Amino acid sequence: MNNSAILKSLLASDKDIIIYRNSEKNNFELYTDFIEKINLNINNLHKFLNKLDKFKAKKKYDCYIGFFGYELLCKNLNLTVNKDKHAFPEGVFFRPQTKIVIDSKIDIFTKSKLDLIKSLKSLKNSKNISKNKIKVSPSVENYEKIFNKFKKNIKAGETYQIKIAQKYSNKKDLDIAKLFFQLMKKNLSPESFCIRTKEFNVISCSPENLFKVKGNKIVTSPIAGTVSRKKIKSTKQARQFFENNQKEDKEHNMIVDLERNDLSRITKPSSVKIQKLKFVQKYQYIYHNVSDISGTLHENVKLSQIVKAMMPGGSVIGCPKINTLKLLNKEEKEPRRIYTGSFGYFRSIKDMRFNIIIRSILNFNNNNEVFVASGVILDSTAKNEYHENFLKAKSLLDLLK
Amino acid sequence: MKLLLIDHEDSFTYNLAHLLSSFGKLEVKNYYDVKESTVKKSDIIIFSPGPGKPLDYPISLEIYEKFKTKKKIIGICLGFQLIANGEGGIISKQEKIFHGYQTYIRTNNKSLRFPNNHMYQVGRYHSLKLKEPFDSSSMHITMRCEETNVAMCLESHTNDICGLQFHPDSFLTPNGKQFISKIIQLKK
Repeated sequence: MNNSAILKSLLASDKDIIIYRNSEKNNFELYTDFIEKINLNINNLHKFLNKLDKFKAKKKYDCYIGFFGYELLCKNLNLTVNKDKHAFPEGVFFRPQTKIVIDSKIDIFTKSKLDLIKSLKSLKNSKNISKNKIKVSPSVENYEKIFNKFKKNIKAGETYQIKIAQKYSNKKDLDIAKLFFQLMKKNLSPESFCIRTKEFNVISCSPENLFKVKGNKIVTSPIAGTVSRKKIKSTKQARQFFENNQKEDKEHNMIVDLERNDLSRITKPSSVKIQKLKFVQKYQYIYHNVSDISGTLHENVKLSQIVKAMMPGGSVIGCPKINTLKLLNKEEKEPRRIYTGSFGYFRSIKDMRFNIIIRSILNFNNNNEVFVASGVILDSTAKNEYHENFLKAKSLLDLLK
Repeated sequence: MKLLLIDHEDSFTYNLAHLLSSFGKLEVKNYYDVKESTVKKSDIIIFSPGPGKPLDYPISLEIYEKFKTKKKIIGICLGFQLIANGEGGIISKQEKIFHGYQTYIRTNNKSLRFPNNHMYQVGRYHSLKLKEPFDSSSMHITMRCEETNVAMCLESHTNDICGLQFHPDSFLTPNGKQFISKIIQLKK
């Protein structure tokens, strides 16, 4: 069996896999043959993070890869969250024994190629659930109520920026790996990933990096500012739009200061620098306004400190983070689960990368859910933001049709 | 020199902490678990920015009241409003909300620390303001927003107290450190 045949039957099998976009190398990495799977909750989170402080990957395939869900990250900040009616795991990390690099050629790094080939079973039968009408929550009416409540909170200075999430859901059986690559052809986002397990599946074309650590350097690249490519035809025009648009510009400023703050909790004094302020990135339907901010980590920094300082990522929540999370958790009724959590890998305390989980489909309990959020702005109306949300969700909702 | 930064759980507190740390030994404490013994040991108390209004933070108001003649006190944004409130000022909503704005402010001739009639570009995050007229025997408004005339700096002439409504910690304030430096270095 050659590498390409192995990959093909692996994708067609029902084995647990994770596929992760490596935007630096412009390829994909597939992880499988998991020897450890850790379901996280608030009681074992710190034990897990402390264990990772001492972990150092030696083999090419070795790492811990997985996600921290939104509810877990809130609990980590001592905040109360809505209870999830279904037992969705609050965070899961996997330790693989096989890594396949998907590029112009396919490379396999594995503990045992023989075991890998033996483990590949035949095609699974996909069951087709025909019911695929998309439901939205909250309704426009409820969204408007929350929106107007938050407007009052902004006027009273209780939050400076707040983002309400909306959930689109339907029932349809998805071929996760196939859909992921289909999506990547149209919308190749730098932080894309997919998780396929027997318990749940995730497809995400996240554009947003939360942080990368290389050595003692940490970099975050928050996105604040979105505009439709229907209205704007070039990157240059998008740049002008963001510069001239007061709302987008001020929102972005706030997030830059917020991220500088979060980095400052774990970095050496005066080491936090704005590397690149407000640059434009182009996607399938939208342009984004992005900044790069870096810092030098404290010596002996712990993973638990990094997670607590940085997660959940502020750009998708609002500002100031703690009080804004409190207001959100009071009004939002649907558990966010993976949405605005973080997915990434950990090879050592000096080598890790985590994103912000947005633009994602979670397939769980026979249900697909897509969340999107947008900010409450005083001179904006609920209906405008409701529309902006739909735009952000569009490339994913296309897959659920 | 020992500095105590009282954090009102803001997302800008640690930007301020990095600015302050070059002036002495800095400790950051959440507003709800500051011990009086820690306050007593500090030379300078700094009230951080934060969400809401001064009356949401009775413990911080109490610390201000107790230590305002004994320690040097600095307040940023909400911290400015805490000082104003402690001096009998009223904090009210402003018509235009400044979240993430970079604007000009101007000094007047009442400042002990800053040159008269000087303009600075500063970053701002506030929806509330000090209501005027504000009459205080010890405090002077020494900077104002160029656009709205809202109070931007409060300085005490009798005690060692200074509050800034804007954010010297923001990247929108060029040379933010010079504000802190001038406030810390000058004795009353």
